[in-house]
Amino acid sequence: MVDTTKNTLMYTTWGTKTAKPVNPNVAAKLISKAKKPLLVAGAEIVDNEQLAQRAIAIGKKGVQIAATGHAITVFHGKGVNAKYINIHALAHYLGDKNWKGLDGQGSYDMIVFLGHKKYYLDQVLSGFKNFSDLKTIAIERHFMQNATLSFGNLRPDVHIEALDEFIENL
Amino acid sequence: MSKISTGHFSIEDLENVQITIGKIVGAIEEKVAEEIDMGPTPKPSVSALRDWDHQLLTRYQPVYTPQCDQCCYCTFGKCDLGGNKEGACGINLAAHQSREFLLRVITGAAAHSGHGRHLLHYLIERHGRDHPLDVGPSNLLAPNVQMVTGIKPKTLGDLEAAIEYVEEQLTQLLATVHMGQEGAAIDFESKAMHGGMLDHVGMEISDLAQMSCMGMPKSDPEAPLAEIGMGCIDATKPMLLVIGHNVAGVANMIDYMHENDLSDKIELGGLCCTAIDMIRYQMDKGGQPYAKVVGTLAKELKMIRSGIPDVIVVDEQCVRADVLDEAKRLSIPVITCNEKIMYGLRNRSKDKADNIIEDLVSGKEAGALILDLDLLGEVAPRLVMKVAPLRKEKGIKALPSDEELTALAGKCVHCGACELVCPNNLPIMDAMKACVEGDLTKFESLHDHCVACGRCDQACPKDIPVLDVIEKASQKAISQEKGLIRSGRGQISDPEIRQEGVNLVMGTTPGIIALVGCSNYPEGTKDLYKLAEEMLKRNYIMLTSGCSAMDLGMYKDEDGKTLYERYPAKFLGGNLINVGSCVSNSHITGTAIKVAAIFAQRNITGNYEEIADYIMNRIGAVGVAWGAYSQKAGSIATGCNRLGIPVVVGPHGSKYRRALIGKPYEEEHWKLYDARNGEDLPIPASPEFLLTTVETVEELMPMLAKNCIRPSDNNMGRMIKLTHYIELSQKYLGQMPDDWHRFVRTETDLPLAKREELLKILEKDHGWEIDWKRKKILSGPRMKSDVSAQPTNLKRLCKGEC
Repeated sequence: MVDTTKNTLMYTTWGTKTAKPVNPNVAAKLISKAKKPLLVAGAEIVDNEQLAQRAIAIGKKGVQIAATGHAITVFHGKGVNAKYINIHALAHYLGDKNWKGLDGQGSYDMIVFLGHKKYYLDQVLSGFKNFSDLKTIAIERHFMQNATLSFGNLRPDVHIEALDEFIENL
Repeated sequence: MSKISTGHFSIEDLENVQITIGKIVGAIEEKVAEEIDMGPTPKPSVSALRDWDHQLLTRYQPVYTPQCDQCCYCTFGKCDLGGNKEGACGINLAAHQSREFLLRVITGAAAHSGHGRHLLHYLIERHGRDHPLDVGPSNLLAPNVQMVTGIKPKTLGDLEAAIEYVEEQLTQLLATVHMGQEGAAIDFESKAMHGGMLDHVGMEISDLAQMSCMGMPKSDPEAPLAEIGMGCIDATKPMLLVIGHNVAGVANMIDYMHENDLSDKIELGGLCCTAIDMIRYQMDKGGQPYAKVVGTLAKELKMIRSGIPDVIVVDEQCVRADVLDEAKRLSIPVITCNEKIMYGLRNRSKDKADNIIEDLVSGKEAGALILDLDLLGEVAPRLVMKVAPLRKEKGIKALPSDEELTALAGKCVHCGACELVCPNNLPIMDAMKACVEGDLTKFESLHDHCVACGRCDQACPKDIPVLDVIEKASQKAISQEKGLIRSGRGQISDPEIRQEGVNLVMGTTPGIIALVGCSNYPEGTKDLYKLAEEMLKRNYIMLTSGCSAMDLGMYKDEDGKTLYERYPAKFLGGNLINVGSCVSNSHITGTAIKVAAIFAQRNITGNYEEIADYIMNRIGAVGVAWGAYSQKAGSIATGCNRLGIPVVVGPHGSKYRRALIGKPYEEEHWKLYDARNGEDLPIPASPEFLLTTVETVEELMPMLAKNCIRPSDNNMGRMIKLTHYIELSQKYLGQMPDDWHRFVRTETDLPLAKREELLKILEKDHGWEIDWKRKKILSGPRMKSDVSAQPTNLKRLCKGEC
């Protein structure tokens, strides 16, 4: 079992409320319990085969995917439910209770993030943290302090191991 | 004899006085003419355009992404506003974020306007108030100034009233940042837009003044090419490095060097917009710049640490705060010449040149503050000629040797501290490991992504000078950094607008993409080149300025040609136009205003709202500040936004704390009035944002094509724009865009080559009714195609309303 809660070192603080470090199995269980989870997969997966495989595997478990940047190129023909959307627009729509979601079937109650630039995602998460009730889980290689729950800072190989454990428990 | 040009006066006990009446009659006529064509909002106050702003902000709602959840503005605090709580003064996080954004905007606007004020003051002293403005073959000399203030400047002196207005308004805006007071985020947003608008006036004043007095190219598509890149610097010559944004001092150095036969003896290089403007200086009558552009702020620390400069002169704005400390370590004297940067140095403005030079050559003082720019013009070149041989003699060592490089990399314990503090979280640990094994390629790759902030140096627990390691390991790559940049040509001229305006409004030229702003790119400089090349091939007009203009010149094609050599610089589709430095960004908004004035014959004088409304609905222009980091870039973007021009920033732009994004799924926000009859006019959701971030350049390209779509496009124009949107989406995202059908009004909007295929999709996937015999759409589109429609946001402009 990978411990992803050890290193939660931050470069700067945002405020008084920071993410709770979470282990892969716990994160997976929370997502499994959610009514309508959404994986937001960022463009960092495009040139990272290891991450791309894990993002596809999460999609294959039935989690809908919002592909931001040009991450959608990874999901074509892979049999997952993925749609392109700009991440800043997505953040805006997710905060709107009237938004019907990517599939027109209603919005989401648990948002999972993988494959994003640290500084960019923490900004997006800061919007969620302060202006919405959404629960967010970052399964990134870095500790995302503005998420509700986040993996700690991990070495790339440990991160992949953690993702595998996360997928197993979905 | 005394002259009184304007004003009231009374003379009592008149005796032996001759009074000559000169231009009184003409002046009255002029005044009357001005009053007749004056629009409703000359010199608008903070609230004068509030209704317009609120209208924009209803469709494009602020999206806040705080950098900090707390407020530390006053001694009530610190207040934790997390979760949108209220602080002790009553402000909540949303309002505080909009206040923070306002502060960024007015900081940027003040930087440009302060620059403008300094230049104007200096140039009036040299050339007089009556010096005519000369910007090229145009009658509309100052579109931003005229539209905002109602003033039609003809001379340097005429610009004074305009800059005074900007200064007064900036003071009013700054006052609103004080604790408490404003509690509505939307009104801070409106104020931010006011600040952005003022910024474009301030920038225009700066550039008009310098273009008119300093012999800069004037709407010249043949403006010369200059060398750019760290690799083009001749390190064998004494090197004078200038950094900043205000060319006034450098111009004097160039003059002195020319007069004293030093031009070919000194290597003059520049960073940031001072560099851009020094290659414009005295280039309006032909000639070839001998000064070289080193590059953007991202090259600043690297250039200093290379040890090549023998003297550094800094003026203002994008200049690192530690130039003096860095230079001191390498025995490089630093001269500051502007009150914005004084680095604690002794003011030598009234000293003799010989005394200053002696103190700096001997090392008695590390630098000098010289505010007298004539004195600076003499001291800097003379100083560099004296310091260079001494530095060579001393054998000043800058970067580590090859052996030291390996040893330094070997000291790394791979703790990850540098990666955590790196703005781009670059994989420095991997590169260190590879370096120990003699593989420098990873560092070479990092070099282009590294913005040379130096935070890694500060964080390393082993005191490894990480930036020096990156720079040393990348010497081969740096030596190959040699490109060409076209010197800034200034405004788009009136005749050019007459020629191209119709294509822009009808959409047959698919759009204007303005690549502006700084160098904090997410994935290095090459993305910018990739973007420009793709859009130029597709016949978009590419306007560029400042740091973006520099980085575009850094890459060559297989034939060894830069984009500036491959694409001409006229205001036509498929042309690449460098308008100039940071302050030349005003010519980009100026171009849009000119289209309204010249092509559409709208009265622009003091008529902001109507012109912004025209631009928003008819001119397919999008700004891109891919590496934006400065407050100035935020301010420029906000000025574009108030004028209805959307702007995209790269991922780092999320740290501006707020975006303005529309919701295409809320149909009530996507309709205008038809000015012919006041009826509702549904429009496509484009632009779908006023300010947003984009993650990658691959995502950016289709997004740009989509957001150039405007309600005024004719069928040919819409077909062209839709073709590019679909093709770019297929090329970079591997799919048809999900929303392409929303932009179709009639079958003639569809790309010709794919018409049948797309009609089938419209029928099958979207339930549209198609007459297959005539290949016509019978029902389905939300909008009608009507080229005579007059889209407007403003009810007052509709027939029967006034």
